[in-house]
Amino acid sequence: MDETETILGIDLGTTFSLVAYADEEGPHIIRDETGEGRLPSVIGVVPSPEGGKPRVTIGWTARNHAVENPRATVYSIKRLIGKGMDDIRQELPFLAYAVTAGPRDTVRVEIEEDRYTPEEISSVILRALRERAERHLGRAVRKAVITVPAYFDDAQRQATRDAGQAAGLEVVRIINEPTAAALAYGIGVREALEQGAAPAPARTERGHVSLPQPTCPQGPSDKPANASAAAQTVAVYDLGGGTFDVSILRIERDVFQVLSTAGDTHLGGDDFDREIIKLVQREVQEQFGLSIDSPTTRQALRGFAEAVKIRLSEQEQANLELDLGDNRSYHRTITRNEFEALIDELVERTLVLCRHALRDAGLSPEDVEQIVLVGGSTRIPLVRRRVEAAFGRPPYTALNPDEVVAIGAAMQASVLSGAAADMLLLDVTPLSLGIETMGGAVGKLIVRNTTIPCRATEMFTTFVDGQTAIKIKVLQGERELAADCRALGEFELRGIPAMPAGLPKVEVEFLIDANGILNVAAREQRSGKQAGIQVVPNHGLTRDEVARITRESIEFAREDIDAHRRIDLVNQVEFDTHKAEQMLAKVGDQLKRAQRERIERDIAALRKLAAETQDLDELHRALDAFGKSTLHLAELGISAALKDT
Amino acid sequence: MASNANTSRGTVPAKCVSCDRSMDSPLFCAHCRTLYPADDVSHFELFGLDPSYDLDAEVIRRTYLNLARAIHPDRFPRAAEEVERLSERVSARVNRAFQTLSDPVLRAEYLLEMLGGKSATQDKNVPAEVLSQTLMLREEIEEAKASDDQESLGRLRAQVGKLCEQTLAGVAELARRLPGDEVCRQALRAKLNSMKYYQKLLEQL
Ligand SMILES: [Zn+2]
Repeated sequence: MDETETILGIDLGTTFSLVAYADEEGPHIIRDETGEGRLPSVIGVVPSPEGGKPRVTIGWTARNHAVENPRATVYSIKRLIGKGMDDIRQELPFLAYAVTAGPRDTVRVEIEEDRYTPEEISSVILRALRERAERHLGRAVRKAVITVPAYFDDAQRQATRDAGQAAGLEVVRIINEPTAAALAYGIGVREALEQGAAPAPARTERGHVSLPQPTCPQGPSDKPANASAAAQTVAVYDLGGGTFDVSILRIERDVFQVLSTAGDTHLGGDDFDREIIKLVQREVQEQFGLSIDSPTTRQALRGFAEAVKIRLSEQEQANLELDLGDNRSYHRTITRNEFEALIDELVERTLVLCRHALRDAGLSPEDVEQIVLVGGSTRIPLVRRRVEAAFGRPPYTALNPDEVVAIGAAMQASVLSGAAADMLLLDVTPLSLGIETMGGAVGKLIVRNTTIPCRATEMFTTFVDGQTAIKIKVLQGERELAADCRALGEFELRGIPAMPAGLPKVEVEFLIDANGILNVAAREQRSGKQAGIQVVPNHGLTRDEVARITRESIEFAREDIDAHRRIDLVNQVEFDTHKAEQMLAKVGDQLKRAQRERIERDIAALRKLAAETQDLDELHRALDAFGKSTLHLAELGISAALKDT
Repeated sequence: MASNANTSRGTVPAKCVSCDRSMDSPLFCAHCRTLYPADDVSHFELFGLDPSYDLDAEVIRRTYLNLARAIHPDRFPRAAEEVERLSERVSARVNRAFQTLSDPVLRAEYLLEMLGGKSATQDKNVPAEVLSQTLMLREEIEEAKASDDQESLGRLRAQVGKLCEQTLAGVAELARRLPGDEVCRQALRAKLNSMKYYQKLLEQL
């Protein structure tokens, strides 16, 4: 029944992805068996023991085994999607898996003999989310709203849509992450005001709720009494795992109008981790003359640096300890101050972008009435302090920064399913659009921060008698020279009637749709006929390639969870317990005897449960608990793995 | 898709071609939601206004949001592809109109061309003193930037801001006299052209 068809809201993140949907009661995050909403955006390709098709692990499993499987564990794929080799040079030193150039300035992830497009990798994550939703809802789901960073360009948006298609999802809308967060924030505030401190639509385990109190306890609450009717200017500061966006919005009842946006698609929590990694690599080099840079070390250091970063958000200092083998060990204490000095420049870059967004909106910091923080990296105390100083008021922190984007996506999905017809979202295009003109300059057609959909037309003619085709190079970016902008693709107008030079008049329409994606159409005015247009995309897949990965993904896919979940879980138990035994043998002497014995008992208990239980949820929970209780052992194992390389 | 065949140029069609009921907006039928490209209708008519430089920003905004609510692609989620395309086009049209009508410079520019004045490409005339002045200012800005002289940059920002303000006041005064005579229109053209130079400077700051 089309009327009630559920459209999912998906936050496809650099580090974590989430799926949500909305019903009459409001939006809900769909969680796994353990109550966790986040699915790590990580996949691992594990060779099949029988030499058949490789098995693919997704999410926590893939993430937890990244160190053992360094070259076949793919993470942060969002930083590669829609990009070419030249765009990602600075990424490569930090990736443990192999990346090579693909056709038309695209990249491929190389695992063993196989090469995968970033779209394929992303589609595996999207399919896992879709399956999670289908299990929860008990029916097939075919449509989704997927969020992207506001500053994603045309190629990155198209690639995300292609990934959705390859996962068997019709992507009914691409929306911007900060805008989605603003939807969740705005609707939350309105409902809270209408109902008095209303219950949250989505309460999470962590105790964060998606609804604020009617008055912000820490902030200056100078809102008018009837704030639900008044317009409010809001800045969304979204610092995720890999990308940064800031959007300035005007929220008035159920209209969400983006005034401007600015961002950097290569600035996020990953970069903070890298500062720690660089520090460790440098000091190990200085102290021991060792270069720790193998794929295994890269994976290990990543997890290590992330843990240190998270610890420093809660504590004033953290210990770094690496066993380098041969009785050598690297040891130091890092204070929060030191960490803040390392990331200061990166945080400052986000504030420069905030100023750009304000300038483009024609506003000053005082005009912003609320700053909404989104993305896990906004938990870093320095980030909060600097944002507060930049805007002159404390940011709003009542939203769960991990879940708010998916909640907003589910809200927009309900608009598109016809359920929330009063809400209106007006977004902008983040980058100026132009064409290459004579001498390599850029002729701007649409300026950045124009409300979408937007449209521009341009007349083209021929330079040579009898010329029947014209090439147009379309660019995105703010620079004056074509070479400094990003080439979206070359559009070739064909089938122009042969006429003397300069006589044909071809009107080309450039339309940026509500997804922020460019559509080009052309018409020859004299003949009135639609000129054939052939798009040669840069950094993307052709339609044939999308069709191919959609088709082949069925074979590439891991076994269907519903049918094979038990096998998967039992395999995982075997794998994890075996791994724990190996670790115990290797580094168990570093544990207290009681700890060792407890782990040995846990191993036996988990194996027994796996052999006997019919309750797969119980087994899943037990497996999860086992992972947590052996965390310390795993950390010791990581140190040992570093030593081995 | 219905085209507004029964409209006279630049007016609201009397009746919707799909449902035959009367229409309030040239863009869409409020009864059956048929969309019309309304390519020949001016920005002012789209917003139900008489052509004038002085507009109430709040009225423009309200009208814009009401229009957007009716025609935005989000409002046609299950429509046929042609309808979706048309709603994109019509939305782009309304967005452009809103942008033009809300911005004093774009509004004057639009009004000038609509009422018989020349476009910026047809008449590139800029007063000589504006040219020499902006040239000088540009050099000063580049110098201040090269030496990272924040004090001078602040002073220059204020100075260029003031020039923009003064020019805009001149634009407004002339635009209120439109259609006016050829002298008035040429003077407005020159002021608008000068404005572009000042705005470029402001961007550099
Ligand atoms: Zn009608």
